Formats: sequence, structure tokens, C-alpha cells
Amino acid sequence: MKRTSRIAGLLLGLLQISFFSTGQDIVTLKGDELFGSLSARQIGPAVMSGRITDLTGHPSDGKVIYAGTAGGGLWKSVNGGASFKPIFDKYNQSIGAVELDPNDPDNTIWVGTGETWVRNSVSAGDGLYKSVDGGSSWNKVGFENSDRISGIVINPKNSKEMYVGVLGALWADSDERGVYKTTDGGATWTKVLAGMPNVGCSDIIMDPSNPDVLYAAFWEFRRTAWSFSSGGLNSALYKTTDGGKTWNKIHNGFPSGELGRIAVAVAPSKTNIVYAVVESKENKGLYKSEDGGATWVFSNGDFELTVRPFYFSRIVVDPKNPDVVVKAGLSGSISRDGGKTFRNLGFMHSDIHDIWFDINDPNRFFAATDGGVYRTWDGGTTMEIVESIPVSQFYHVSVDNDEPYNVYGGLQDNGSWFGPSASPGGVEARDWTPVGMGDGFRVYRHPTKKITYSEMQGAEGVWRFDVVNNQIRNIKPTPAKGEPKYRFNWNTPIQISTHNPDRIFIGSQFLLVSNDMGANWQKISPDLTTNDPAKQNQSESGGISTDNSGAENHTTIFSISESPIDEKIIWVGTDDGNVQVTQDGGKTWTNVVGNIPGLPKNTWAYHVQASNFSKGTAYAVFDGHTSGDYKPYAYKTTDFGKTWKSVVTPDIVGFARHILEDLKNENILYLGTEAGLFISIDGGANWSKFTNNMPSVPVHYIAMHPKTNDLVLATHGRGIIIIDDISPLRQINQEMLAKEVHFLKSEPMPMWEESNFGGSSGETAFVGPNPDRSGRIIYYLKKRHTFGAMTLEVQDLQGNKISSLDPGKQKGINVVNWNFRSKAPKIAKGKTFSFDGFSAPRVPAGAYQVVMKKGKEEFSHKIEVIYDPRSEISLSDRKAQEELTKQLFDLSQDLAYLVYKLDLQLEQAEKAKAADPKSAKSMNALIGELNKLKETLVITTGDNYVGTAEPQLREKISKLYGIVVSNYEAPSPAQVESKTDLAADLGKAKTTFDGIGSKYAKTIDNLVKKGVIEAIQIDDFKTFIEK
Amino acid sequence: MKKTLFILGFVMFVFGANAQTVDEIINNYLENTGGAANWAKLSGVKMEGKVAVQGMDLPIEMVQTKEGKMYMKFSLQGQEITQQAFDGNEAWGMNFMTMKPEKSDSETTENMKRNLGDFPDPFLNYKEKGFKAELIGKETVDGTETFKVKLTKKPLMVDGKEVENLVFYFFDTENFVPIMVEQEVKYGPAKGVTSQTMFSDYQEVDGLYFAFSITEKAKGTPQSQAINITKVILNPSVDDAAFKFKD
Repeated sequence: MKRTSRIAGLLLGLLQISFFSTGQDIVTLKGDELFGSLSARQIGPAVMSGRITDLTGHPSDGKVIYAGTAGGGLWKSVNGGASFKPIFDKYNQSIGAVELDPNDPDNTIWVGTGETWVRNSVSAGDGLYKSVDGGSSWNKVGFENSDRISGIVINPKNSKEMYVGVLGALWADSDERGVYKTTDGGATWTKVLAGMPNVGCSDIIMDPSNPDVLYAAFWEFRRTAWSFSSGGLNSALYKTTDGGKTWNKIHNGFPSGELGRIAVAVAPSKTNIVYAVVESKENKGLYKSEDGGATWVFSNGDFELTVRPFYFSRIVVDPKNPDVVVKAGLSGSISRDGGKTFRNLGFMHSDIHDIWFDINDPNRFFAATDGGVYRTWDGGTTMEIVESIPVSQFYHVSVDNDEPYNVYGGLQDNGSWFGPSASPGGVEARDWTPVGMGDGFRVYRHPTKKITYSEMQGAEGVWRFDVVNNQIRNIKPTPAKGEPKYRFNWNTPIQISTHNPDRIFIGSQFLLVSNDMGANWQKISPDLTTNDPAKQNQSESGGISTDNSGAENHTTIFSISESPIDEKIIWVGTDDGNVQVTQDGGKTWTNVVGNIPGLPKNTWAYHVQASNFSKGTAYAVFDGHTSGDYKPYAYKTTDFGKTWKSVVTPDIVGFARHILEDLKNENILYLGTEAGLFISIDGGANWSKFTNNMPSVPVHYIAMHPKTNDLVLATHGRGIIIIDDISPLRQINQEMLAKEVHFLKSEPMPMWEESNFGGSSGETAFVGPNPDRSGRIIYYLKKRHTFGAMTLEVQDLQGNKISSLDPGKQKGINVVNWNFRSKAPKIAKGKTFSFDGFSAPRVPAGAYQVVMKKGKEEFSHKIEVIYDPRSEISLSDRKAQEELTKQLFDLSQDLAYLVYKLDLQLEQAEKAKAADPKSAKSMNALIGELNKLKETLVITTGDNYVGTAEPQLREKISKLYGIVVSNYEAPSPAQVESKTDLAADLGKAKTTFDGIGSKYAKTIDNLVKKGVIEAIQIDDFKTFIEK
Repeated sequence: MKKTLFILGFVMFVFGANAQTVDEIINNYLENTGGAANWAKLSGVKMEGKVAVQGMDLPIEMVQTKEGKMYMKFSLQGQEITQQAFDGNEAWGMNFMTMKPEKSDSETTENMKRNLGDFPDPFLNYKEKGFKAELIGKETVDGTETFKVKLTKKPLMVDGKEVENLVFYFFDTENFVPIMVEQEVKYGPAKGVTSQTMFSDYQEVDGLYFAFSITEKAKGTPQSQAINITKVILNPSVDDAAFKFKD
């Protein structure tokens, strides 16, 4: 490890020298120009999926269904909902509304970004998108500042005429709100019903029988970091009957006074029937109209109809039966009597946001929940989860030191979990273990014991869980006598220590520490927040419907970082914008946020991170989105916070939540923003978005594994994403960037002795791929290789070819994997395949060279391969295995050569017979003898499955070879003996063949001389093998 | 010294990445790879190469003709296996277990018929074939700036329903050769997956340029399969029987 950092330092020195001495242009590579084939690996999990916001389906083809998600983009099923695939990875992953053009449902899809179920952790959108090819490619159509789009409706007779409902900004005033209309297919838009700075369109519905009739719900709402308000005098339901020219409020029968969120639906089969769910102080619930909204009658005020309207405001009517109505809710409920009474839907994940009915069979429908898409075939009684949508929303991630290491993290509404970074057959749902309930946040593994720490919302529970003995202990700190009530954030910071394995920190308004795994807590700070009482009235939060879930708790500590160099140095960030540091283990604290230039006051200190390299160095990231400020803020200090420098550049998209300094190279920084992962290799002077198999998903937290150098990302919408071994980035410098080709140095590569029988997941379940554990040959190409030949070979040091590899040809970093195997043996030609002969031997440990030929140029690079350092197999055992493998390999090839020669003779004899009937007698005898021999060498009948014939010499050699080559241990004496017998058999066969040859040599010779046949041209052994 | 071989070849190339129409891109591509007229003269192409599987270099052979006939066969432990063949009328391939030819399902055959105009290049006279090409924009592929062109070919039949047949080509903006093709898999277990085919090692054969390295992978997965071409024969003479299904 030390060596690497020294190298990194040296390279850094070189970089500066070349810069200052020559004044050359600095090569700045961005994005995949730099990252090349370093690629992300999405491991899910999909076991709990994640929040689905909006569903739609094809109007006539029941196999095609779309699911928009809260933070994981848009997913499409083409198999009736059996499985889904993502189709919107490059764009904003928060989906408000998805709609198909009813006139071109195979191809034209509209997506409005920005979820409209506006919980505290909701993401914002960035406009309206359109695809005209079923989701293969997308164009942004506009509405850049819409923040969230609630609905898209298209005239079923004229695709050019459509309406978009814009809910608008959640955290601040905004103008782009209301109902917009286009009559030219989206080229131009007119606002036909305006909102107000805090009022937007929350629902828009078109009468399917008359495209001039529309209903639009408007909602007055606002969220701050410490409060939520739903409702006001400006919430209303409107109707137009002239295509949006005039709108009328239709409240006849509604409650009076302030209203909250309103959901509206028209019965497709009887369009004068309209349902509306109204949030109000009195008589809240479902209203029904049988005259197109002219008059309303209160119908039902059950819990499911009125619960949390900001989160569940969707009502859906059966396409064929106007009396069947489903209301989204905590459980979701269905009415079969026109809304008079409701019954809960079948068991599924709670928090239902939308329903999609199959147009052909309304007993079959889909539900969008906080835990994935569910499908039913029996009208909602039995619900079954779709297992292929890994859109889990992690708040945090940490790793342990197991091999393979485990990943820990807490999820939006889906508890806390850990799972392996690799598993036989891939990372499956069953590999994940729950270690917390409710909403999960920070999760850590005790550094040395099989114990996890986790929590649920607002530290309602803080758990220490003994994973081995299944013992849970609630270690939530309680204020001592005389202490004020502890204020905990919804996402309460927990932090383990790198200095004392039993130490754990937790932040309320005070920093608390325990040195005995949470049994006892000690307060080591005063109130580190602003303690602003105006931000502490959560019990009044919610507006018309009180909503005091803890999600708005404020003036709390949000981030804690103990310096890995000095345990007395601790940094704390608070949600109300303080950055506090102690250098004496908590005795004295200094608020240093005032020293940060360009940072708006009270901006949420989302993450503070003490440096791995220097005591006074730390990083701080601030998130202003809860006051409508979407700019990224990330700073570095080197003097304990006295001065700060921004490390933000215009390369960065989205507000930032997390920064991580590389463990070995101070100049490499990783930044998690609302739009994805950004990496800087020059200390923040330039940033590149990482896009290789990495969606534009919010990155909330980043961990780096110290042994594997894997970057592990907690994404808020696509689960855990890992970039395996980013250490190549540490070798990038100006000198190498200037070269045409540059091989990166690699540590000795272990040949891991691992094999397994795979996993158990079914075809429709998501399985996260494993890392490639084979050898990595890494090089940089200045330019993509497009013209001329290019090859890559592994050779021994004498230049003998061991294996040919398929070279990577990208501009930037290329990673080529080598499985440490050489070539498979050449196998004798028979009627069937010798499956054991498909195996290639592993190479012995040692030094090899990689040779790249690119056009006329040649580049080479030495690598070292070592045996599995964890293995207990002795070197002499390995050598015995390698030797017997080699002998059996050679036997296989010797036999192949014998059969090749035999076949040539057979062919010649057949030709002679045909050309000269007089030779038939002798040739038939020759053919007979050759075939008799051949039948003992290879299989000449049967097939490759159960029609297989009795094994012959080829199969016997291959079978033994197949066993020996796949083992690591020394072969058994019986195996060695068996080889000796087989070699003797082959020797006998050779003798027999030579005997036949001599016996007929004269006859053949004469035939050749007479010109009946030509002499056989036999390739020599080497040529034959290489052919 | 370096790159002499191909620098010479480049002299006649059209360079530049100024504002382009889709037809300019296609024309430059055809021009840079030998000229539309020369491509049009081709009656068939035979490609020989190798594909690396599990430490074995399997020899493969692919033939395509102007009439739309094709076969692709490889050799394994001395046995020749025709993976897919089409005689213009009937599509077939060999069963790996019995090593006997079996007919492809009727939809596969139908779709091969619908793709008849592809030889030698779908872009050659694409309008006459009834294809549509559209420039979608610029995109970075393999760290290289490309023009993304959407080619709409004749619709395909999938599970009894006619569907759009879209292929996305990514032309290097510097030299106008495609370096990647993307296409959604329309049937089979991988239905809905986007396949990516990477092209490189372009080399000249009797005045025409062919990609000698073709790598295929599913989008988002690291595993890929490369075919390395060792020899390209223009207008080969091939026994008609090689394309035909035999019982």
C-alpha cells in the first residue's frame, strides 16, 4: 500500500515538472474518454424494489407496460409485466408521469420528469421528454424549469393536440406551473390555465369521449426543510369544455374553505361519471359526480380515502365498469359499488401510488407501491411482486472486511440491509439480510465483530444487532436528567470510529459518543446547531392534514467525521448549516461555516469528511435544494476550517450530497450529486461524470473498500452500484496521457481458486452481476483503435504464445480480462464432441508478458501471476497437477495427430478405390484395418446428448484430462497410473497404424506412381496443431 | 514510421465534423469505405475468421450474397457446424446435440426475407429500399465522438405482430465509419435487451473497407464476444448447396 502512494506521489511530481518545465498543453480527458472500459456494476437489490410513481400500458397490447419510478427512471415490460428493463438511464430518473400516444402507442412515449408524491426525500425533474421509437432514444421537449410534471394527456384523435399538467417547484416559488397546451405536437406550448407561485396542477384528465373536455386539479403546497404545508384557498378543481379556452371551478357539493390536494378520474366507460378525492378539514374523502362534475355528492371518508393526500392522491376507474374504482393509499382500496364502500387490496408493500388496469381483462391490474410493481390476476385479492426492478433508494452505504466484502445501507421506506458484493451465480435477492425496519438510513458493521448498527426514522429505533445470535438491542440514547429533549434528524447520523472498534457516534443537536457499542452514551458537545425555534414546530406541520412523521425534524446534526489520523479531531455538519470542529475530542468546538466563501447562510451541511492525509484537511458538501437552490457546493480546507476553497466547477451537474477523498491519492475526489457520480483526478480542478453503465441517478453516499479499491455507491433509486477497483485512476498523469499506448502497472495477479454451482434465482428475478475476478490487463489508448489490425497476446518471457485476448479499443482506459488459461488442446476429430476437451489449462504462477500489436507497432508489458495466497495447497502438489495436465494435454494432441493421419489415409484409400476399381480389394482391406483401429480411438457413432456411444481412447484421455485440469490439488496415484495406461494404449495404436502403413506402403506407392492417386500431403505436427 | 500503412489509406478520406446532414454522413461513409459504385458491384462476400471461446480459437466462415443468401458456420474439434443459413427462401441451422440441420421457425425465416436488402450495406441506396435514415445527434462511443443515425428498415414480425425495425449506427465523426451499432433484441429470452456491436480494425480489401474485428455484447454488461476476421474474399464462388437445407 505504501509503495502505491509513493508511486502516486512520484507521478504527481512528474506531472508538475512536465507542466512547469515545458508549458505543454495539459491533456484533460472528460467522461468516458478517460474512464474507458471501467464500468459500473449494479447489484440492486430488487428484493424490496423501490417506489413506483406512475404506471401506464399499451391501449391494445396487454404485454406492454411502463413503470415510472421515484429515483430509478422509467422501466418497460414487453412480456405482460413478467419482467421490466430500464429505458431512460441517461436522463433525470425521477418520473412524474408517463403516457403513450393513443394514436401511436407502439412507438411514441411521453415522459414528464419530477415525481409528484412530494415526500421530504423526493427528487425534482428537469422537463418533458419524448421518444418516437418505443424508448430507444429520447429528446427533451422543454419545461426545463417545471420541477415536476403531474400529467400528460393526448387527444386520441389528434396526436398534435395535447396538454401537460405542471405541478412545479416544491421547495420554492416558481412560475412554470399550470396547464399547458400544444396543437403542433409539442413544438410550441401555451399556458391555458396558470398556477400561482405556490400553486400548481396536480392532476389532469381528459374525457376519453370528448377531447375538448378536461378536468384539472390545482394544489397549493410548499415544503421547507422543517415543515410541510398542504392546502389553501387556491387549491381547486377546474373543468374546460372548449379545449382549454375557458375553465370553471367545479366545486358544487365540495367542502368550502381551504382545500388540499385533489385527485380526479373519469369513468372511461361512462364519462359523465367523475370521481374526485378531496383533502379538506371537514368531509374529506371521495366525491362522486354523475353529471360531468356539475354537482358532487360525498361518497366515502374512510381512512384509505383520506390518508396522506400529498403522498396518495390517485383514483383509477376500471376501463369497462364505472362502478369499479381503486384509490391509492397506505394499502390501496377497491370499490365495486361505485365508490360507496371500499375493501383493501391484497397484501403487498404499503404505500400505493398508482394502478394500471389491463384494457382487455380488468381483473388483471398492476399496482405502483413504495416497494415495487405488484400484479394481480384476481381483481386485487392476490398481489405478486415483480422481481426485476432494482430501484431501491439507499441513503447510506458502508462496507466490511469480509471476503467477499458485504455492503450495508438503509433504504427509503424499506428498512436496513446488508448483502454480499459477490455471490455464487451473482448477487440474488436471497443474499440480502435485513438488519433494521421502517425507513433505513446509516448502517455500519462493527469493525471486528459480527454486529451491525442501524436505525429507523428520526432515531425512533437505534439498533445493535448480533447477526450470528440474532439478538437485537435498542441502544437509542436517552437524555440524562435535566438535559433537553434530543432532536434527531429523520436521517440521523451514526458514525463508527477508525480508532476504537467499540466506539460509535450519534448526533442529535449534541454529539454523543459511546465507547461500549451503544450501551452508554456521553454527550461531548453543546448544541451544535442554530437551535432556531422557528424550525422546531414539526407537530404543526402538514397543512390541512397534519403530517408529523419526523421527516421534517430540523436543527439537528446531520454528518459526523472523526479524523482517521487523530481521534481528537471531529467534524460535524448540521442540517441548518453549521460546520463545527473540535481538536480536543469534544472539549471545545469552533463553528467554521462563516469562513466558507460563496455559501448561502443556513445551507444544509450534508456531508463533512476529515482527510486521510492531513490533520487540518477536511471536505464539506452543502445541499441547498430544500430552499430551492440546486447549485452544488463542495469545499476543502487545509487549516481546520479557517479558510476554504471551492472544488466545484461547471462540469458538475446537480446539487451535491457527498464527497469522498480517495484513500491513496489525495487528488482523486468522488462527488455524489443529484445527477450521478462525478470524479476528479486533479483535486477538483476538473470533474467528469461517470456514465459507464451508471444511470443519472442521485448518489447519496459513497464508500471505498480499502482492500479492493472498489467504489461503492448508495444510489437513491438504483440500489447499490459498484465500480470495481478504481486504482487505475491513481496512475493517470500527463506523461502517460500524452502517449499513444501506455500499459498501467499492476500488482501481482492472484489466480483465485474459486468455483461454484451458481445461484437459484428464476428467469424473471433481478440478479446483480459478480465482479470479474480474473486478471486485469489495463492500458490507456490515446485514440480509439478503428483502422488496421490490433491484437493482444499473453506470452511467456521467451515469446511463446500462451493465449490470445480480445483487445479493448476505446479511447481512454481499457481493461482486458484474462482468465489465466492458455489454449485448449487440439482434440481428435470424431463423430461427437469431447466436452472435457474444451478446457484449457491454467498457467503456472510466474512472469508473463502482454504483447500488443497495433498496426506495425508493438508494445509489451510484463505482468506477474501468483497462486491464490489464501490457498493451503503446496507448491509440489501444484507442480504435480500441472505436470499431469501437461502430459494428458500432449496425449490428447498426439492422438489428434494420429487420427488426422489416419483420416488422410482413409480418404486416400477411398479415392483409390473409386479411381481404380482394380485396387478395390486391397483398398477395402486397408480401409477395413484403418476403420477397425479408428473405432478404438474415437467415437464414430451416436450424438452429443443421450444418443452417445461407448467411450474410446479419445474420451478416456479427455475425461481424465478434464478432471485433472479442473482441480488444484495433486492428482491421485490412480490418476497418474491411468495416464500411464492411456499413454501405452496410444503407443500401441501408433504402432498398429505404422504397421498398417508399412503393410500397404507398396500398394499405395504403386497407385501413386500410376497416377491413380496423389501422395498424401501431411502437415507436420506443429502446423497441424496451429491450424 | 508509425501508422504508415493506414495513413496512406486515409489520404482519400473525407474528414471533418462540421454540421452534417444524414445523407452527407452516409455518403461520406460509403465514399470512405470504397465508394457506393464499388459496393454496388459486389455479388457476395466471404469472411473467414476466428472466435475465441473458452481458450479455443474456433474457425468461422461467413458468406453473404447479393441475392440475400447467407451462412455462418464454425468448426469445433474438427466438426463443421452451420449456425445459421438462408437460401433466400428457407432459414435453418444445425442442432448442436444431433449435429443435424433443423429449420428455423417461420417468423425467423420471414424476417430474414424482410432483411434481404441488407447486402452489402443497408445504407447503400437505402431510400430505394424503402429505408429511412435520421440523424439523432452526437454521442460519445468508446471515448470517441460519433453521429448517431437511426435507420428504419422494413418492419419485422414478432410474435405475430408487425413491429418497427430500428437500427442505430454510430459513425465516427472524424472518418465516418460506424464504430457501433445498437439494436433491440426482438425475440427470444433476451427480448427487450439492447445489443451492441462494436466495429474496428477496418482494413482495405480490393478497394473496399471492412471491419476485421466485430464484437458483440448486451448493453450494460461487460462480457462480449469478438469475431476476428482473418480473410475477406470478394465475389467468392460458393456452392449453392451450402445455403440449402438438407434433410
